[in-house]
Amino acid sequence: MDSREQLGMGQSGMTDEAATPGQRSDYGFAHASEAEFARILDFYQVAWEYEPTVFAILWDLDGNVLESFAPDFYLPDLELFIELTTLQQRLVRKKNRKVRRLRELYPGLRIKLFYARDFRALMLKYGRAALVSELSGTLGQVTSRQEAEASVAPGDRLVGLDRSSNRSGDGDLGPSGSNAEGRPNHERRSRASRRRAVRKAAASTLRAPAT
Amino acid sequence: MKVSQDLVSDVAEVLLTEEQIAAKVAELGQRITADYAGHELTLVSVLKGSLPFMADLMRRISLPVRIDLMEVSSYGGNATESSGLVRILKDLSAPIEGRDVLLVEDIIDTGLTLNYLLRYLKGKNPRSIKVCSLLDKPARRLVEFPLDYVGFEIPDAFVVGYGLDFGEVYRNLRFVGVLRPEAYES
Repeated sequence: MDSREQLGMGQSGMTDEAATPGQRSDYGFAHASEAEFARILDFYQVAWEYEPTVFAILWDLDGNVLESFAPDFYLPDLELFIELTTLQQRLVRKKNRKVRRLRELYPGLRIKLFYARDFRALMLKYGRAALVSELSGTLGQVTSRQEAEASVAPGDRLVGLDRSSNRSGDGDLGPSGSNAEGRPNHERRSRASRRRAVRKAAASTLRAPAT
Repeated sequence: MKVSQDLVSDVAEVLLTEEQIAAKVAELGQRITADYAGHELTLVSVLKGSLPFMADLMRRISLPVRIDLMEVSSYGGNATESSGLVRILKDLSAPIEGRDVLLVEDIIDTGLTLNYLLRYLKGKNPRSIKVCSLLDKPARRLVEFPLDYVGFEIPDAFVVGYGLDFGEVYRNLRFVGVLRPEAYES
């Protein structure tokens, strides 16, 4: 039994989105660093899934989900979730809080937060230090803040889901319009819309995890 | 990349002196000798970083050992790499089926290379396979392993020397040191 089975994934507080193991070209990464990380995992033949699971982390008194969190990667063979962040400290604190909350609510789950310094060290190790700045922070962001916010309905903001195109409530928005995969942004928005619709539907059924 | 001629000038801090390394290698050699007494041990060194460690460690093991060398491609290490997948650049020169294998590494950080190597070597049906690494950087770990023999747990810093390189340089330093950021940012 893997950690996801132990947690009763898809039944109490979590949902799956029928993700398939890694083929990077099939994914609309929200950030260039995620695409690079996926390439590294591919290189070393480590199976991965991109944002396969949405974890509810905050509920109102009626049991409705107020906040959720979708870690960037799941490595099924290692039973490990990974959240990447290459952004400024303000957002790191927010992610730290979410990861802390996730660990409290789902103690059997293994998650590693990969900070900007970790990503930088990885790039240095692989002789790609020159790419760090363009793959990090807001420079590596896929959609602009205006585009992302304009595409999100007010209801989405209320429940804290998917504010940044295809991110689930992480709130990592930036000014760049570059696309990590080289695809047009309208294609990404279309994929993001599909993801958002799935997550909205999922979030409406999310409840507190069994304790 | 700008490298100082004496190499040492590019080092911000000596993390492990030559003497500390020698003492630890001797200690590891004694442990391995005791643990593998009566067994047929094959030491497999992962090129290129573990060469100095392998050379010193094998001489501290008082058993009849065979040695072998492997090299795997590194991510981003070869611009002409077409498959985008890790490759065995140099394979074992002798079978390891039925033998006790000790994989000798210079450093374990993410564990991605080791994860690949262990899967590959286990496919060759050794009697046992264990890992001996001079350095362990657990802060960077993605793939967790039981490391059977570890010399030193080191902090999260970019280290060079005693086989460890940056851009193929600094391997011949006799100590392990932290590289100055200016050396890799230039």
